[in-house]
Amino acid sequence: MRVVRLLVWAGGGALCAGMALALQPVDQPAIVKHRAIIGLTLLFVGLTIGVIVWDRRPDNRIGILLTAWPLVSIVPDLRWIFWNHALPVTLGFATIELFAPVFVHLILAYPTGRLQTRLDRLFVAFAYAFAAAYGLLFLLFFDTRYPDGRYWLECGDCALPITHIAWYDVHRISHVFDWLALPLALTFLALLARKLVHASPGGRRIVLPLSAAAFLVAGQFVAQIVLYGSSGVNTMTNTKWFWITSVAGLLVPVVLGVGLLRARSGRSAVADLVVELERTPPGRVREALARTLGDPSLELALWLPERSSYVDSHGRPLEFPSSSAERAVTVLGPPEAPVAALLHDPVLLERRGLLEAAGAAARLALENERLQAELRAQLAELRASRTRIVQAGDEERKRLERNLHDGAQQRLLSLGLALQIARSQLGADANGTSELLGEAEDELRAALDELRELARGIHPAILSDQGLGAALRSLGERSSVPVTIVVDADERLAESVEAAAYFLVSESLANCVKYAQASKVRVSITRQDGNLVVEVDDNGIGGATLEHGSGLRGLTDRVQALDGRFEIESTPGDGTHIHAEIPCGS
Amino acid sequence: MRVVIADDSVLLREGVARVLADEDLEVVAKAASPDELLGLVEAEAPDVAVVDIRMPPTHTDEGLVAAETIRRRWPSVGVLVLSQYTETEYALRLLEGGEERCGYLLKDRVLDAGQLADAVRRVGDGGVVVDPDLVTRLVGRPRSTSPLDELTAREREVLALMAEGLTDRGIGQRLFVTPKTVETHIRHIFFKLRLPETAVDNKRVHAVLTYLRT
Repeated sequence: MRVVRLLVWAGGGALCAGMALALQPVDQPAIVKHRAIIGLTLLFVGLTIGVIVWDRRPDNRIGILLTAWPLVSIVPDLRWIFWNHALPVTLGFATIELFAPVFVHLILAYPTGRLQTRLDRLFVAFAYAFAAAYGLLFLLFFDTRYPDGRYWLECGDCALPITHIAWYDVHRISHVFDWLALPLALTFLALLARKLVHASPGGRRIVLPLSAAAFLVAGQFVAQIVLYGSSGVNTMTNTKWFWITSVAGLLVPVVLGVGLLRARSGRSAVADLVVELERTPPGRVREALARTLGDPSLELALWLPERSSYVDSHGRPLEFPSSSAERAVTVLGPPEAPVAALLHDPVLLERRGLLEAAGAAARLALENERLQAELRAQLAELRASRTRIVQAGDEERKRLERNLHDGAQQRLLSLGLALQIARSQLGADANGTSELLGEAEDELRAALDELRELARGIHPAILSDQGLGAALRSLGERSSVPVTIVVDADERLAESVEAAAYFLVSESLANCVKYAQASKVRVSITRQDGNLVVEVDDNGIGGATLEHGSGLRGLTDRVQALDGRFEIESTPGDGTHIHAEIPCGS
Repeated sequence: MRVVIADDSVLLREGVARVLADEDLEVVAKAASPDELLGLVEAEAPDVAVVDIRMPPTHTDEGLVAAETIRRRWPSVGVLVLSQYTETEYALRLLEGGEERCGYLLKDRVLDAGQLADAVRRVGDGGVVVDPDLVTRLVGRPRSTSPLDELTAREREVLALMAEGLTDRGIGQRLFVTPKTVETHIRHIFFKLRLPETAVDNKRVHAVLTYLRT
């Protein structure tokens, strides 16, 4: 294929050179000849860039289109320079307006080489058909003489196209075609604007420079028609327009070439990435990759083989992303053992080489990141399992409390009732048995009392029934130290949160009684920034630590299991101050 | 006095029925669930319904909810709630439906036939009953500084009996003083505790319990 590209390039070059040479003996002003040579040179530069692009991206049609555009701009001029030879004249007429559809095709298909929308395809097909019709008109009917033998073009030895069949005043019709070119150019500009609007952010960044150049080319074309009529201006004689046309025409391949160079400089970006990753702290690999690939929206999904699932850098599970029009997915590493997946702007798919190189460069860092993510996922799981254990414990406490009330307590009460009946049936005189039964009943009452308090300590029914405020007030009623309870948040909360807050206060009060020698305690429950804030302050001797008694230790675990914070401040002589924050939603 | 009993435990239902019957109260029907209870109250129009606080389906406060329903729909029917919990919150909830024909008693009282029957009668006669254990705890709980300290011993006794739901007359009988004297004590108590005078006749049990628990 490279041979073909070389041949095309060499052929194009030879054509340009040949045309420049052939122009020299022609009787034309020197300025026209100079400008023709400049024009041919610029076209050759465009052709060269086109061939390079074609060579770098053989799978992308853009290269071919960019190569074809200067060629189809040169070939029509054959009919002027070799006017007395039928073959160049025929070739010239055949390609007479082909540069326009090729240009439109090139711009609208950039950067993928494929026309993205139906409307684009329709328009480009129409443009080709339009140019073909235009060329066909000349191929079939062009003649330098009128049917009566007079010349309308003073050219005795002008050759006719090989395909000539009859005379027809083609120029009258060609004027109509020229005027039709104006709405077509405007339609093209509209389609280009539409393409820019609908592009993804990354895509727009890539398309924008070329679109600007294309706007210039099409814009100056429209301006020429509007200012000078359908056949435009003769750029050979008009200096200003000569330069405008030339520069606009050259911009397109140059911008495209620069885009290619940037894509090539992706290699050096990857080299920079390798260096940067050395200094990148764990968890920042995404940012480094996003910079290298020029896609700020880039997301990283790390593959955890043990779980056979993707997670983000925080270890949170991710749905396996599937490609869509807005997001593309590139899996890094071998498909059977992926390292990670990148979610990115689909436009990056056009630079798959860069994507893969960056992925390969980041491989080690990603492995590292993956281990970190795995660790985080394990931590999250650990926390979840701790929460589950606490919840299961709470459930078990509730079940026990229910069983004590509905089982043991009911049975003891029934037993008591039976004793009563026995005593009443025994009558007055029973050798002291009646007294004995009375004592048994007293014991039973004491047992019932103890059972009730035991059940209450395991899990107060009022907590799940009436909520934290009621349960704390009830706790305050029972405390042997005077307690002030301020509940600022009396709405119902998650069961685990209520239980944690309740047992925290309950254990703290118990400590006040057991160790702190406090004469008063203040309990306050407030809500702050989505947290339930539990504070217990006493005026006791202080000096409490988490190690001191397992009660507080267990509470720390309970609070932390809910992702909360627990602090204890207990300077000797300055009371004990417990502060806990438990996330409880908004 | 005609009584309906609701308890999901058949042993206790029968036991309580027997105790009350022995105390010359007429047990006209027994229910095992809140729905059954409401049906029986509708059909039998009893003087008092004795309701266990824990009943199916969730065994939490169904009994209390049924009690509230009865008080709303059949105001002439007294409701005595038997509870496993000495929780002021529940007693207050019951009292919020009006300070008459209701009672909150610890379930253990079924072992004290006289006390249980007395409570049923008081409720049936339009009075209020609050379990003495609950009141004792509230009166006796430690306070850092409290107007309660300013009360005389006798006033404290009157306060506790008032909290148990006794009328001036009932308090007088217990303490062997005239209702007139009781009235004077009560006025002193309300003044010392800075309770609103309006609560003396209306909702005084609720007012006193609320005061005692805070």
